[in-house]
Order: sequence, then structure tokens, then C-alpha cells
Amino acid sequence: MQTNTKTGVFICRCGEKIAPFIDLEALAGIVSRDANVAHCEILPYPCLNPGFDRITETISSKKLNRLVIAGCEGRLMLKKFEKTFEPMELLKGQIDMINLRGHIAAGNDLSPEKRAEKGAKLIKAAAAEMAALAPTIQKRTFLDGPVMIIGGGAASWTAAQELARQGLDFMLAPDIGDPEILFEELHRQYPGEWKNYPRMKKIRQEVLQSHRCNMLPAGDLLNLAGITGDYKLTFSMADGNQRVYKAAAIIACLDAGLEPPTEEFGYDGQSVIIQPEFDEYVAEKGIFEDQVVFWVNDYEAGYPEFAQLSALSAWAMAKRVRESYPKSQAVILYNEQMEIPLTGRDRTLSRNLGIFWVPYDKTIRPTIQEGFITVGNLNDHMEYDIPWDLMVLSPERAVSGRTRKTAEILGLSHKHGRFLTGHHAWVRPEQVGREETYLAGSARFPCDLHEALAQGYRAGRKTAELFQKSRGGELFVPRIVCSVDPDKCVGCGLCQELCDCGGIGVEEATGGGLPRVVDPLICTGGGTCAAACPYKALVLQNNTTDQREARAGALASQMGPDEVIALGCAWGGLPAADNAGKKGLFYDPRVHLMSVPCVGQLDPGILARVFLDGSPGLLLLGCNPEECHHSYGVDHAWSRVNLIKKLLTMCGFDRRRIALAHADLNKPEEFVHTVNSFANVVGAIGPIGKTPQNISRLKSMHELVSNNARIRHLLCVTLRQNDETEYKGNQRHALDFDRDFSAALREEFLRTRLLQLLRTEKRPLKLNELSNALMENREQVGEQLWSMVYEGLVHRSHYNHEALFIAG
Amino acid sequence: MSRLSETFEQGAINPMITFQIDNQTVEAKPGWTVLETAKHYGFEIPTLCHHEAVTPSGACRLCMVELREGDWSKLVASCIYPVADGINVFTDTERVRNVRRWILEMLLSECPASKHIQDIAARHGVSRTRFPVENPEEQCMLCGLCTRVCEEVVGLAAISTVDRGIHKKIGAPFLRPSEVCVACGCCVTICPTDAMQSRIDSIRRVSATQLAAKTSW
Repeated sequence: MQTNTKTGVFICRCGEKIAPFIDLEALAGIVSRDANVAHCEILPYPCLNPGFDRITETISSKKLNRLVIAGCEGRLMLKKFEKTFEPMELLKGQIDMINLRGHIAAGNDLSPEKRAEKGAKLIKAAAAEMAALAPTIQKRTFLDGPVMIIGGGAASWTAAQELARQGLDFMLAPDIGDPEILFEELHRQYPGEWKNYPRMKKIRQEVLQSHRCNMLPAGDLLNLAGITGDYKLTFSMADGNQRVYKAAAIIACLDAGLEPPTEEFGYDGQSVIIQPEFDEYVAEKGIFEDQVVFWVNDYEAGYPEFAQLSALSAWAMAKRVRESYPKSQAVILYNEQMEIPLTGRDRTLSRNLGIFWVPYDKTIRPTIQEGFITVGNLNDHMEYDIPWDLMVLSPERAVSGRTRKTAEILGLSHKHGRFLTGHHAWVRPEQVGREETYLAGSARFPCDLHEALAQGYRAGRKTAELFQKSRGGELFVPRIVCSVDPDKCVGCGLCQELCDCGGIGVEEATGGGLPRVVDPLICTGGGTCAAACPYKALVLQNNTTDQREARAGALASQMGPDEVIALGCAWGGLPAADNAGKKGLFYDPRVHLMSVPCVGQLDPGILARVFLDGSPGLLLLGCNPEECHHSYGVDHAWSRVNLIKKLLTMCGFDRRRIALAHADLNKPEEFVHTVNSFANVVGAIGPIGKTPQNISRLKSMHELVSNNARIRHLLCVTLRQNDETEYKGNQRHALDFDRDFSAALREEFLRTRLLQLLRTEKRPLKLNELSNALMENREQVGEQLWSMVYEGLVHRSHYNHEALFIAG
Repeated sequence: MSRLSETFEQGAINPMITFQIDNQTVEAKPGWTVLETAKHYGFEIPTLCHHEAVTPSGACRLCMVELREGDWSKLVASCIYPVADGINVFTDTERVRNVRRWILEMLLSECPASKHIQDIAARHGVSRTRFPVENPEEQCMLCGLCTRVCEEVVGLAAISTVDRGIHKKIGAPFLRPSEVCVACGCCVTICPTDAMQSRIDSIRRVSATQLAAKTSW
């Protein structure tokens, strides 16, 4: 652990792209006078080999352990610096970049001297953040133990086969039941897949013979606890007992259920059946001389995306009908919008077998009658009747019942539509330790058996790769992930509800009040959960709220009376600003841009700090709505901005001093509009007077939003959760809630101010003195004082029959 | 192996390399390229497909310089040409200017709509092209910076070149929105000609399920 912080600042001349526009000597002069900067140097190109060599020398000679490179876009260049200086023990988080070229040199018409001043502000703020950074050690994860293959889907067998071949122990989880009945059940999920049965049989045999295989007795998954490498799965067994298994990794193999469609298609289970029932029908009744009509009714039933999948099943069945019962007829009816999913060879076979593919007019819905179905002919626009003895419909596909429950326990969300999505992190691969929980089978998205089996192989292979990495000691935990302080965590579980990456779980069993734990390999480092925690028990390592607050504070303290800070998120605001700079678009130079990984990871304390340290305005530039890369961070930022707005109003300041805006990386022109209009708004309002009263109010505001667990908790429960698919804003009694929230806020704000006053005065004060000093209603102040006395926050004594109060 | 330790190891064996750029003696370490050294010493060489964030590819050939030895001389792409003892590099000779003008004329025919390329061409005294213009709206010069940044910096391969030869273009596989793309916008920022700006909206993904519905069959 480095205790002695030494930050080196390297400023890039960038040929003719920076040097002529900024007075770099003046800039270096200002920066090197900063207390947080140990070394400052101007280089022609820090980002090319000559520059690297020079920086390397300086790092060794001056023992630098933090770097700030002031050059161009950190989004593009930072990785190269991180890679180059990793051997010098400068790990991720210890190097930062300022986009001098895009945000300072281009984008305004200031003089080179003014630009130097503007750039120095950003660099000094970055140095302040570096000073507040306490880098963690580089952690690794080790996987040791069997893999649990759960869910009982068809893909289980290929996943197991792959694991057995890679030499890994695995458990085949209970759902599967007796492997002998596999083929009796398979057609229910994957109809018409007889051609794959021999292959499945071989795979099953290989798996069951493997000494790596541990076949578990049947049971239902009840609970999942622990993190990657150390999972505990609790099953409820058929005999009513519970059993716990330990596993190092999990592969979920789940199949979607196939159900009969709605009743307007005439489904009766007798002569109108669905594809999964075909096998049983043939076994029971046989077909002989029947006319079998396969109606691919997916378009009419409202899921056209599965029409081809159903058509393939229908094709396999029609083939079987014609081959086994030559006297019968097979007709496949399909909507004209569907393309026939057959290869040329299959088409020939279909012709030879005499299978009729009949497209029908999409505008005329086929009508099913006894013995006939009426369809619109495409050529002559006449309606024809097609006779049938057996009607086979497409099934409706959905994840339901037991599969759905298992998926929910495993944290495989159901976010969009009816099917499961493994968590797919929308961030750079380096930001996560491993991919999502491996999920294979048609529950992910309807597919045929071949595809499901392939997914099983893939899941097995990927899991084996993880184990291999772990054996080589190369399964590193990303540098920027959350961690929970178990001493502070009260187990409210709000973070888990907010977390979109599925990285937060519990160590043991279920229930309330249990400390949460972060799986560092799944956490995407969004930090929206850390900012939401009412008790600050969650910390985003190497990117903490303290760091961010130090930076925002350092920048705010350098702001002029009409200058504002804009916090741009790494996916929206920052790229938009970078691109605006690249295009040379001018925007208001009073706007100072500071980059943050996500606006959702801004603790309200940071927002309050900006005002406390002297910035007259703060703009948050997030992504577009619904495009946030980190658990609805932009929605969370909205709630926090709203909180600060309320508090600004209570302090007597203009609530327009803070605003949330959305920026698209590809619309730099709109970014310019946004920041200009905000700068104009705040410019018209003017600065916040630095009177003792204002400062004390801002201090109370900062104290309240940072440390008041009641308000932080209330705020946290209003944040958008990951199962809310769309933020409609029409929450029940939204206005009532807002009023209640404001009332709580007023109450707590008054209490915070009271306590702060008593603490600064350090002497007993009378009620009158207190209410006069705060300029608040005497009765309200009294009311809060009594309850604070009751809670032990304030001590009361009496002198001359008058109550005196002092901080507890 | 990192660039640094490579440099160290080679540097331990070899001392500094001395050579000349435009008759000025410069020192470099083994492993540096001519372009890097020239930039470090303040010689300006025009580039298009070169960006410090990614490995150089020598695609655009705009950074050509002349290497002279007596009467004999050759042209090399400075961004990928490693430094060597005693070479004589010339960054702005008649031969170099001539080849740059040719390249710019070709670029003007390939991507006539790019403002940036028009500007560079104008600086080199090229305002029109003798080659046929296939698509007057085209901005992309296929320098591959976007695909390189996606692979090397972002760590994905959401975009690549699709098709070959004169049909080659940049896009996600099958020219459909990519599920791999994380919409970081690095390709837009790095693109020297603004071509990516008009392309990214057809690449960055829509919601995962919408996409699965489109591409599953």
C-alpha cells in the first residue's frame, strides 16, 4: 500500500494540435505550484515510445505513484498508458487523463493564457482525486470445486460432456431425474427432433460413464448463496428434506415450455393438437390414411419470430408422416410472409415425398371448421377449403413454472419479453471479471435442439476456460468493483434490488437482515449501488465517492462567479464532449467538464459538495434515457438531482442551479446546445453569496445528504429498480409520495442545521437563540429539539427556568 | 510482453541509434518508428490512418518519407518503418510531395465527401482528382482505425471490414446492429473523416431481445 502519494503530471504538446492553442508553459507553471503535484513536465508526445521512455525514467527517478496525462481523449488513450506502466506498479485507477485537446484547446475562442488557466483547473482537480485514492492490492480468484449443471435442460448433457472431456468434476442437478426417461420427455421441449436422438444417446452414455459425473437425486432449487468460486445451492428434496451442495461455478440449462395456443385456433387435444403432442398422438392412434395439416400459425398467434422454428418442426413431422404412412397426406400451411426454411436438398426431398407447402394470403385469416380450414389463395384471391383429419398447430413458447422459478433464483433476469437473458454487461470486457452465468437452452431464446446442444458445449467450454485461468493464477478481479463493509451493512437488500449486473448476493441462505456480498467477477463497477447505500456500506474500490468528492470539490473551489461544472458520463456526456472538441464546435468556456464513469454513481454528497465548495451551478450529462450502461444510473441521477433541487430551494437558492441532461455521443451539436443553455441559466442567476449563513446552509445540506441514513434510505427506495422495464413516471400517488418526502426532508434538514449550529457554537443555547439564528419558526425548532433530546442527540439543561440546549 | 520491457531488453543490448531526419541528427531507441522519432523531434509528417492509441498499420501511405543513400533512394511509410543506424530520412522532398499528392488524389476519388481529406489535399495543392468518383457521398477511406480501436482498446470486435476489394466497407457482421457493440463511441472519436458518425447508429445495438428476434433465424 502506498501511503506517500506522488502525482506526476505530463502535458502533451501534441504537435500542432495543442501547443499553439494553449500557453503550456503558463499551464505547467500553475500546475507545478499545486500541493498535490510532485512533478510536472511538458512532452512533445507522451503517448509515443519516446514519451513513454521519458515518463518511465521520471517515474523511477522521482518515485511517482500516480499519473495525470493531459493530452487527448482518455477513452482512447488511457488503456495504452495503463498497459505500458503496469510493470511500474501503476495499476488501473492510478493513471488518469485530461482531454486538453478536445475540451480546452478546441471548443472555445479563449486566448492561450485563459485556456491555460482553464486547463489547470481540470488538472488540479484530477491531482486532488489522485491524492484521495487509496489503491487496493491486485486480487485474484481461485476456482476449486465441482461445476453445478442445473435446470435439467437438454443442453445439460453437452455441457456435462464438455466438462468431462476437459477433466472437470461436475454435478448434474436434480431436475433431470431419471436419465432413462430423457427421450420420452424430450419431444415436449423440442418436437420433431428424432434425427438428434442417436447423438443424444451417445452423449448421455459418455456423461453417465464419466467418473467426473455426480448425478444428484431429484429436487427443487430453493436458494443460491455465495459468489463465484464458492456457491452454495440449497435444494428441497422429494422426501421433504433440504440439501446443500457446494459448487465453484454454475451452468444453467433451461428449456422453454411449449403450451397450446389460445382457444381461437380450435385446440382440443384430440384432432387439433400442438406439435409437442404429435409423438403421443402417433403412438396412441396412428395416422394411416389421414390428411394431416400442419398449420404454422405463429403469425396469427402473435409471435412471427418463431414461425421458421415451428415450420422446421412441422417439416420433420410431415416427413415422418409421409415416410411411415405412405397413404396419408401432409400439408404445411404457412403465412406468405414466412420464408420456407429449407435447403435446396430438403426442398427436393419435400417434392419427392409429396408434401404440400401452401402459403396463404396474410390479409385473410384462415378459419378452422370441422374437417376443413379456409385459406385465401395468393394467386386468384379466392378462398379455398383444405380438408384435414388431424390439425397440428404451432405451440406457444414461454418460460414458466418451475423453470422460471429456478431462473429467478439464479438471477437470470426476465427483463425483456418472455425469455431469459443472462446478464449481458453493456460495458467494455475489461470492466468485468467474467461473463454472465452461462445459460443454455431454449429458455434463453427459442431454438432447435441442435442449437441448444451447441449452447451447452459453449457453456461447458467457457466454464473450463475460467478454471484454466484460475489454475494459472490469471483470474484477476477487476480493479474497479464494489465491495461491502460487513460492519456497516444492515442487510436492507436495497443494493441487490438496484443492481443490474447481478453481482450482489448474500453469503448464506435467504432472509432479511443478512449482510450482502459482492461477486467481484460479475460486478461491472457501475457503482450505482454504492451511491445508493443509505449507510455507505458499499464502496466502489479505486473509484470511491471520497475520490470523486475530492475532485469535484477541488474543481468547484476554483470556479469563478459564473462558471459551472458539468459532469459528463463516460458513455454519453464525455464522448459527446470529445466529439464536439474533435469537430471544433465552440461552446461556453464557463463550462468546465469533469468526466465520471456514470452519473448514477454520484453520491448525493458529491453533488452537495460542488455547491459547498463554491460552484454556482452543476450540470449532469448522462446517457439517453433507457441507454444507461449501469443499472439505470441516469434514472438514479434524476432522483438525486431532485433531492438536491429540493434542498437548494429550502436553502433559499435557485433550484435551477442543478440540472440533469442527456447527451448522445453522436450528437455533439446537441451537447453544445445543452451546456450553453445551462451556462446561460446559471450565469443569469449569478453566484451564491459566500455569507456565513449560506455556507452554513450548504454545509448542512452536504451533511444531510451524505450521512443522514433516513433521507438516504428514503431516496434509495425511490430509485428505479432493475425489474422496472420502463420508467413511466405514473407511479401510484407519486405526488403524495413527493410531498411526504419533502416533509421528511424539511424535518431532517432542520435537525441537521440545529445540530450543526449547536456543534459549532459549543455552548448552551436557548430555543429563541436557535430559532433566530436559523431564521426558522420557533415552534418547529422546538418540536425538533424535543425529539432530538429524546433521541440523545442533544442535551437539555435548565437555567433560570429556561431550557438550554447543547450538542450531545 | 509489454512495449516497455521489450524496449528495455533491446535497449540493454543496443545503445542509442543515431540517424538523420532532414539533415538534422537525431537519437532514437531501438523499437521506435521513424514517425515517432520525427514527431518527438518536432518534424511534421501528415498522417491519416495513424493514431497513438492503436498499433500502426500503414494503410493510407500519406506518411511516406524518402530514405536516401547516395544516388539511391526509396519511399517508406514512416509510421511502420523502424529506425536504424545511419539512415537519412527526408520528410519533404519533391518525390515525397509527389507521392502524397497522388495518394490524396486517390483518396479524393475514394471518399470525396470528407471535409478533413479535402483540407489536407488543399494544403498539398490538390483540389481535384483525375480518378473516377464512384460515390460522391462517401466519407470512409477504409483506414481501419475504427476496427483497430474496437479490437485493441475496447477489447471487442463489434465492427470489421465487410466484403473485399472495391466492395470493402466497414460495419458490423452482416451489416446489422451488433449485439457485441457496447456503444462506447470510440470508433466515432477516432475516425479521421467523420464517416463513422453516420454509421454508428446502424451498428450500436438496440435492446438485446429486439435484436435476437431479428437475427435468430
